[in-house]
Order: sequence, then structure tokens, then C-alpha cells
Amino acid sequence: MSGVSRIVATGFVFLGGWATTLQSQEDTTEVDRPMVRGDMYDKPYLAQLAGRTAVGGYVEFHARYARVDGVKEEFTFLAKRFNLFFASQISDFIRFAAELEFEDAAEEINLEFAAVDFLIARALAFRAGVILVPLGKFNLSHDSPLNEFTDRPLVSTRVFGVTVWEPGIGALGIFPVGSAGRITYQIYAVNGFDDGLITESDGTRIPEGRRNFEDNNNSPSLVGRVAWSPRIGIELGASLHTGPYNVFQQDGQEIDQKRNLTIWVVDFEADFRGIRWEGEGGQANIDVPASLLGIYAERQQGFYFQGMWDFGRQWIRTMPKSFFSAGARVDVLDLDADISGDNVKQISLGFNFRPTGETVFKFNYVRGRARDRFNNPSDFADFLFSVATYF
Amino acid sequence: MTVRFVLTAFSAVLMLAACGEIGTEAPADGETLDAPLPGLTPEELAAFLKGDEQFGFAFSPVLGLGPIFNNVSCASCHSGDGRGRPENALTRFSRSATDPALDIGGPQLQDKALPGATPETLLAGVLTSLRLPPPVFGTGLIGAIPAASILANADPNDQDGDGISGRANMVVPAAFVPLDEPGGGSGPQLGRFSRKAQVTSLLQQITEAYHQDMGVTSDFLPVENVNPQVGTPTETADLAVDPELPLADLRAVVHYVRLLAPPAPGQDTPQRQLGEDLFAQIGCARCHIPVMQTGSNIIQALAFKPVPLYSDLLLHDMGDALADNRPDGQATGREWKTTPLWGLRLIRQFLNGQAFLLHDGSAGSVEEAIIRHGGEAQVARDAFVNLSADDRAALLDFVESR
Repeated sequence: MSGVSRIVATGFVFLGGWATTLQSQEDTTEVDRPMVRGDMYDKPYLAQLAGRTAVGGYVEFHARYARVDGVKEEFTFLAKRFNLFFASQISDFIRFAAELEFEDAAEEINLEFAAVDFLIARALAFRAGVILVPLGKFNLSHDSPLNEFTDRPLVSTRVFGVTVWEPGIGALGIFPVGSAGRITYQIYAVNGFDDGLITESDGTRIPEGRRNFEDNNNSPSLVGRVAWSPRIGIELGASLHTGPYNVFQQDGQEIDQKRNLTIWVVDFEADFRGIRWEGEGGQANIDVPASLLGIYAERQQGFYFQGMWDFGRQWIRTMPKSFFSAGARVDVLDLDADISGDNVKQISLGFNFRPTGETVFKFNYVRGRARDRFNNPSDFADFLFSVATYF
Repeated sequence: MTVRFVLTAFSAVLMLAACGEIGTEAPADGETLDAPLPGLTPEELAAFLKGDEQFGFAFSPVLGLGPIFNNVSCASCHSGDGRGRPENALTRFSRSATDPALDIGGPQLQDKALPGATPETLLAGVLTSLRLPPPVFGTGLIGAIPAASILANADPNDQDGDGISGRANMVVPAAFVPLDEPGGGSGPQLGRFSRKAQVTSLLQQITEAYHQDMGVTSDFLPVENVNPQVGTPTETADLAVDPELPLADLRAVVHYVRLLAPPAPGQDTPQRQLGEDLFAQIGCARCHIPVMQTGSNIIQALAFKPVPLYSDLLLHDMGDALADNRPDGQATGREWKTTPLWGLRLIRQFLNGQAFLLHDGSAGSVEEAIIRHGGEAQVARDAFVNLSADDRAALLDFVESR
């Protein structure tokens, strides 16, 4: 039994005992809140789950115009995503959900989620299958109709690898704290990242090593997230994903040094004075072979921070559920924290119209500056329009 | 609050639009190092842009990088198509002019390696030379100058007695260079590229850069570069099938580099005019010849064009301070090809404000670079030092405006 497996098994035993003691408290807390707002079991289509299985999804379209240093770089339309959801309540204790993603007009097809939950108690459920790993809140809740901006946060996609799905097994649960608060957790053993984060790119690029349907080095990684929410609308989370990514042994022989990838993420959301604030930040630490240092980064980091303000409810009388949103997001991305270059800073301005809560028309203006490894600047501006809707 | 918000946002967008910043601004003509020569045909321009893309293409291991290498793309060393910086300087090594130390990994140190391969190390007893990547613009114009024009300035025995010799580095092109390629041909040809003019053709320079600097094989050099210092076959760490670079891409990069325009010089001012006069008076222009002329060429944009490069493309003894003491072909350890000065005006702009002058990037300013001249340049260097402060400033302003 590997070290990671022992940790997971010990955790399960501990949590099982804790869950039993907490079962009597369940009725005293609000139990309708989802594990994570917008996660696999918090989708609009689930309202249709009258029978055994429900099917839903979302679709997303982009129109993009981008300029770099005064030159048109992109003017294109994208059938960005067509995602199908499936959920089935098999019994009081067993549920199943899946998400099948067709990205860029089906150029890429991914099974992002397909996991069975065994619900023992509110505080303890076992999950197995292809899971969206709890590496920051954004990886768990990233549906385009929910996002306020057309493009996903830079740090989430380019350092944390959103969307990161992996086959794995683990546990999740909710513990009440006080009258309205709670602590949620998720912890899994997963396949982890692979050598692709080095071999598939000209520098350290973590997304290139994600989504492994089997473990390349027979050494699972560990991923988990703990979140504290004192009340609805406020949550603070912390996540960690750690484990070896390279093939360091083969046929029982040590053929390389074991090299780890460790990513930590903190995230928050808060509804405050009519503005919805959220953000996520973190760092990846990569053991890079000594012979690649200077080109491949050992440390990558960044954050995003955004605020959105809703207004204009019922301005359009024929669409009583419609409203508008406006806000901004700041992205800071550093793809090599040990040199002064190789980074991106950008600000996104957003203006959205939602005919209903499930459909959004987004107008974004993004202005930023990227620096290459020489630290030479390059300015860019994106004008983006997108439509996304659940169905 | 809503009205105020909308007005504020609208005003901000208007302000950005008014100053042309909303969609970013392109640099003015002549202000970049990667512009094409004027007058290219649409076909030439299309191939140029293909080469531009390939020049910036960064190789990953699965696409051909390594197994041993120095960097991942052309653009990773030539910042904005200009000079490199000390971090990506290359180390050339050999035992002597006739022994490139191939048995221990010469003539270039590959200090990076993929997992499973071992980077080369410098072994005792070799001669080394640190080489900063030079700018790549204007090289097509340099290649189009008739050899006779360059040789006309050579004075290997200093018959005119001015203390400046100037020698050609006659080099046999690599065997893979087609005879009809510019710089190709049977027997020794005039070397005009690289720090010691040890390369005759752009095709050879670029093919070897892919092979040596990036570990990328091509039709011309289809066998991986290996590290002979270790017993493990270097090729076992390679992840791509050879040849790793399609011939079309290699040819496009050669075409791109050949057609890169030199940036325009800065505006003339009275001070710069004075500086130019002094540049000629104290003898700088004897080696840093301001303008040469191309001859006939199949590419009209290269034919019969002035080449304001400020170089004679010949080898000169530069004295002890600049000597690398490593012969390269016919070039001695004290000789360097006269470095072209064109584009100096913009070099800092693409190196985050730093200059990194001389062959190893060790000079932080033009003045420091001049002062470290010696050998055949000693007289001109001393004359520069003895100029009044105003005259020195004028000369430096002129040089830095090229």
C-alpha cells in the first residue's frame, strides 16, 4: 500500500467515525445548499429529475476579435462548448452524475465527470469514477452560463489546469458549524499529472500533463479541498494537489528521480453590498530535471479577483426574470516566478445581459500586457461576445 | 448609481479610444527588428510570414526538442530578432583550429538535456568562446553583397600601412549546402556570417542552429546530435521521429531571415552629424564601413540595394582584451568579424533596456565596448578616448542612433 493510499484509508476510517457522531445533528442545519455552488449536483436541469435519470447541459458560442501590438491577431467565431449532463438518483444512497464535453465544435471530446456517489451520511460520502478534482473552486464550478466572463481566469486554466478531471476515488462531506455555517471537504486519490507537463511543451505547462485516464507512474496523487462557509454567500476554500508526475520506476527498477508536482490554491466568494466578489490564487511547485533548469519553470503562480454587480431587474417588462450585470476581473499570471519575465497581467471589463438566470449574453473588453522570457512587453486587447445557456 | 456607473464606464472607454489605446497600437515603420524588406512580391511575403511563424515556433520534446540542446526556438535566443543576452549565450569549444573536439561534444556545448539524456560539460584542456546570439535582421542584404566588394577592402598584409589589415575568412561550406545556394559552392567561399565570419551561407547557419542549438534534425542534418561524453546512447531519450523539421519549414525560416529588413536609423541631428564626421575622422569607419552595395539578385528586394551596415565583414585583430584565444577556421583567437552597427538604436528595446554588447555581451554600453577595442582598433580607440566630452557624446549619440 503506497503512502498516499494509507493516508486516504486512514482518513476514511477517521471520517467514518466522525460522520456517525454527527448524523444526529443533520436535521438542525440547512441541508439544501449544494456542496459547491454550481457543481455537478447544483445544475438547473436537475429540477427535472422527477424520474430516475435527467439529461441536461449547456452550450456556449464565442465571437472574438483580438489585437496584439496593434495587429489583428484573431477575428473568429467559435462553437466553443456543447456539454451534456446526466444525473441519476439510483437509490436513497446511490447517485450518479456525468458530464460529456464537446469542445470547439467537437474537435475535442472529454468525459469530464462520471462518478458514483455512495451517500453514507451528510458528513461522509464515497465517490469513485472520473471526477472533477477539487483544485480550487473554479475547477468544480466553471459552467459558462455561470461564469460572468467569456474567458476563464488565466491562473485557473494555465497554472491549475482547469478543467482538471481524473479517475480517482475518495470521500466528501459536509459538517455543520453553528446555526448557518458549515465546513465541506473533498479528498481523493487520483492518477495525477504526467510527464507531459515537460515533454509536451517548450516550457513547464501544467495543463499538458493533466487528464490521465491511467496512472503513468503507478503512484497516485492526492487532492483535496476544505472550505468554510459561515453563511450562504460567503465561502473560503483551500486546496492541494500533490504527487509524483514522472515515470521514475519501471519493471521494478529506479530509472529516474521521483519528481513531484504540488499545487495549492485558495479561493473565496462573498456577496457584499450587492456585489458578488470572488477570486482564486495559488502556486504550483514543480520538480524540474536539473538539465532543464533555466528554460522550464520550477514555480508558477497567479491569481484572479473579480466583482460583479447585478442591476436592471424587471427593466424589460416582457422578460420579468431578466437582469444586467457589470463588473471587472483582474488576472495576474506568472509562468516562471523565478525570472522577471514570462508573465501576463490583464483586466477584463464585463457587461452581461441575462434574459433568465440560466442564459447569458456577455460583452467583454480585455486589455493586458504579456511579457516574454526576455521581459519584453507585448500589449493585447480582446473584444469578446459570447452566449451561453443551460438547457 | 446606475446612470453614474454607465457614464463612468462609457467615459473610460471613450478616453481609451481617443488615445488609440483601446485596441493597442502598432509600432511605427522602421521601429521593429522583424519587418520584411520593402518591395517583396505577394509570394515572397507569404513565404516570409510562414518563416516568421516558424522562427517563433518553440519546440517541445515530443515535437523534436533535444535530446541535448541549448534552447527551444530561434526567437528564444534572438530577442525580437535582435541580440540575445548572456543567459542564452552559447559556448563554443575546441582543442585547436584544426581540432573541433568532436569526440567530446565540440564545437558547441549543449548544456540542456531531456530526461534520460545527459547534458554536455566542458572538459579540461579545451579552448572556449562565449558567443551571444547576434541580430538576424539584414542578413539577406549582407549575403547579397558581392564577394568582390568585400574582398576589395581586405588588406591582410597592411600594404597601405594604416595599421588595419582586414582578412577574409575563406571557409568550405558544409557538404549539405547545395552548390547553387547563396554561400554554397565547391571549395572555400567567403565567410560572412557569425562572429568570426566562419559561415558562408544562411542555409548552413540556420540548419546547424536547429541541429546544435535546439537538437532538431532536418533533411540536411537528419541524425541527432549526441553527447559523446557518456556511454548511454543519447538518442534513447529522443521523443520524435527524424527528421523533426520539415524541409518546407526550414526553407521558410531561411527565406524569412534572408528578407528581414534592418531597422531605419534615427533622425539626423546636428550632434549626430558631428558624431558621424568624428566617426570617420578618428578611423572607426575604416572597419565599420557605413554603406556597402548589393549586386544582382534573383530577389528584387535584395538587388542593387545600399546596405548601411557599418561593417566591412572582415576579420580584424581586436587585441588582448577582446581575444577569446580560440581559433575558428582561418580566424585566430584575436580576430573578430567587424560587428555591424545597424539596429543598435533598437537593441535595448528588445532586451528590457539592456544592451549586452560585444561577442559575449559583457559590455553594457557603446562607450565601454569602444574602450575595450584594441589591436588594429587601438589607434581609433585612443583617438576616441582623447576626444572632448562633447565630441565623445556626439560620436556615441551617432552610433546609438544607427
